[in-house]
Amino acid sequence: MARLELDSVTKRFGEGDGSVLAVDDVDVDIADGEFLVLVGPSGCGKSTTLRMVAGLESITDGEIRLDGDRMNEQGPAERDIAMVFQSYALYPHMTVRQNMRFGLEESTDLSDEEMDGRVDETAELLDITELLDRKPGALSGGQRQRVALGRAIVREPKAFLMDEPLSNLDAKLRSQMRTELQQLQADLDTTTVYVTHDQTEAMTMGDRIAILDAGELQQVATPLEAYHRPANQFVAGFIGEPSMNFIDCATEDATLVDGGFRYPLGDEVGEAVADAADVTLGIRPEDLSVDASADASGGDAAGDHAFDATVTVVEPMGDENVVHLSLADGPELVATVNGLRRIESGTDVIVSIPENAIHVFDGDSGDALHNRSLDDAELDDARV
Amino acid sequence: MSAADRLQTTIAGLDRSRVALYAVLLALVAFYLAPLESGFMTAFKTPDGFRTTTPFALPPLGEFTLSAWGTAFDRLSNGLLNSALMAVPATVLSALFGSLAAYGLTNLSWRGQIGVLVLFVAGVFIPYQAVLVPLTQFWSFVDLGGRIPLALVADNEGLINLSITHVAYGIPICTVLFRSYYATIDDEMLEAARLDGASAATIYRRIILPLSVPIFAVTLIYQFTQIWNDLLFAIVLVSNPSNQVVTVALNQLQGSFVQQFNLQMAGAFVAALPTLVVYVLFGEQFAKGVAGDS
Repeated sequence: MARLELDSVTKRFGEGDGSVLAVDDVDVDIADGEFLVLVGPSGCGKSTTLRMVAGLESITDGEIRLDGDRMNEQGPAERDIAMVFQSYALYPHMTVRQNMRFGLEESTDLSDEEMDGRVDETAELLDITELLDRKPGALSGGQRQRVALGRAIVREPKAFLMDEPLSNLDAKLRSQMRTELQQLQADLDTTTVYVTHDQTEAMTMGDRIAILDAGELQQVATPLEAYHRPANQFVAGFIGEPSMNFIDCATEDATLVDGGFRYPLGDEVGEAVADAADVTLGIRPEDLSVDASADASGGDAAGDHAFDATVTVVEPMGDENVVHLSLADGPELVATVNGLRRIESGTDVIVSIPENAIHVFDGDSGDALHNRSLDDAELDDARV
Repeated sequence: MSAADRLQTTIAGLDRSRVALYAVLLALVAFYLAPLESGFMTAFKTPDGFRTTTPFALPPLGEFTLSAWGTAFDRLSNGLLNSALMAVPATVLSALFGSLAAYGLTNLSWRGQIGVLVLFVAGVFIPYQAVLVPLTQFWSFVDLGGRIPLALVADNEGLINLSITHVAYGIPICTVLFRSYYATIDDEMLEAARLDGASAATIYRRIILPLSVPIFAVTLIYQFTQIWNDLLFAIVLVSNPSNQVVTVALNQLQGSFVQQFNLQMAGAFVAALPTLVVYVLFGEQFAKGVAGDS
């Protein structure tokens, strides 16, 4: 159990002009017992970062500290860290018991009885006792996953590193293991860094998530903070499924303009975006409200924040409908509505974009100029 | 033409092509096995027998004998023993060194790796003829028998020199064979072992070596056959007649005046027997290794 600090960690592959910057100046401070999820699209440097922590990849610049001790020059064996790999990486010629014992035999001075005791205990925790005498080849994917976890847990390391451990499982097993892993981590209370490209895993599992893009750290925050208060447009688009809607606009006198699309802003938001010429308006699909059109209801697209639109595609998910909309004034939007509502494609509707739910990002840097208004107390409570 | 007729023609056409295929395959088998069968038959014939009959015919009545086998075995027994003493250690060592080198070049990473690998690959293509003179000069300079005052070394100097030479010249091809196999080993598994606290040597001993059984079978069979069948190095490096290996002894079965074909054929089979035995012993693993099944 330990505090893990990444201090300006940088990784450059190759030398000179041909070098590639894989990880750029990443700072993360992971508290003792914390579950941090490192998330980002493939190639963003998240696995490289994890491998640097493990000692499998050298550190070009910066420092990694475990419990305050510099780790840069330590080999993987000396760091007292256990890792779970995507491919499980079990030793195929050894039984499950031998697989789990291997690390104990190589890195501890425990007696045979003590090692067997630890293995039995861990096997019981993971419910794999009956598999102990089998070889990995005779196990299913889910069982191998458990053995790989067991091999890490049995060593009682200072930190767990997990590199997309669930991505080889089928969807159902994955969500089950997700819950189990969270439970396990909470019980063991061991510092954990978990790498994934899956934003659902990131949202649901982590105490905090660190979002990486192109080697640069975009934001480190609790899942809800990242969802509601994204630091920039990349985070806003990456977190959340379906993704946040974006409309590129120009600002004209506290109004966002994109062709015929005009969105007037109130004082508070208007002030926040006053200095930027080009901005991006962001709105989450669930914050859009879709109402019957003027023709059917006899009403009108009244109000500054309501727009005429046509439904192009409806994807029924059961609990909700994902509705693709084409605004009369140009932009395409995606909204989610209650699954019990009947919406046909081709119908005309009125879409409202409530101002208290919009995000505005700088058109050049992508930085958030304004995030949706929320009761702050509510956000903090959400972590409990 | 009705559908049934068409079907019949198809079957007939298929049959004809099948028959032709089997005929060709059979002819090829006969062509391939004829020399072997002829040799085998000749080995059981008396001199009169092989002079008066065609080589592939069965020995005629009264012309059947086992004496050629007996003589061949007597005259080759010392060569067989010497070959075994030379080839077994050379095979095992070249495979082991090849495996170690391949592990170092494939699964570990260090600077200058590619350059070293290129040297190994180049080593595969060195023609033996090109090194005969430097090789004899090298061994006369080393002079093992003179330097190590042991009767065992002095008596078997030729065999020891030959064995070491075969180890050295076998390492490149063994390395290449092992390397192609080790390249398929999951890197994450070796990284997991490193995180588990295993050193490079421990990983080799506890993970790589146990997983190498199939490729060891391939390499052992290949190397043993190569070394056992070598004549060139044996002629050049072994001068002491008591150190003579089986290929050289077999070559001397050829009489100077009378061609004793039965003796030569029996001798050839006796000399080839050990390679056959090795293949049978490791055959199953060999098949696995070739098929890439681990």
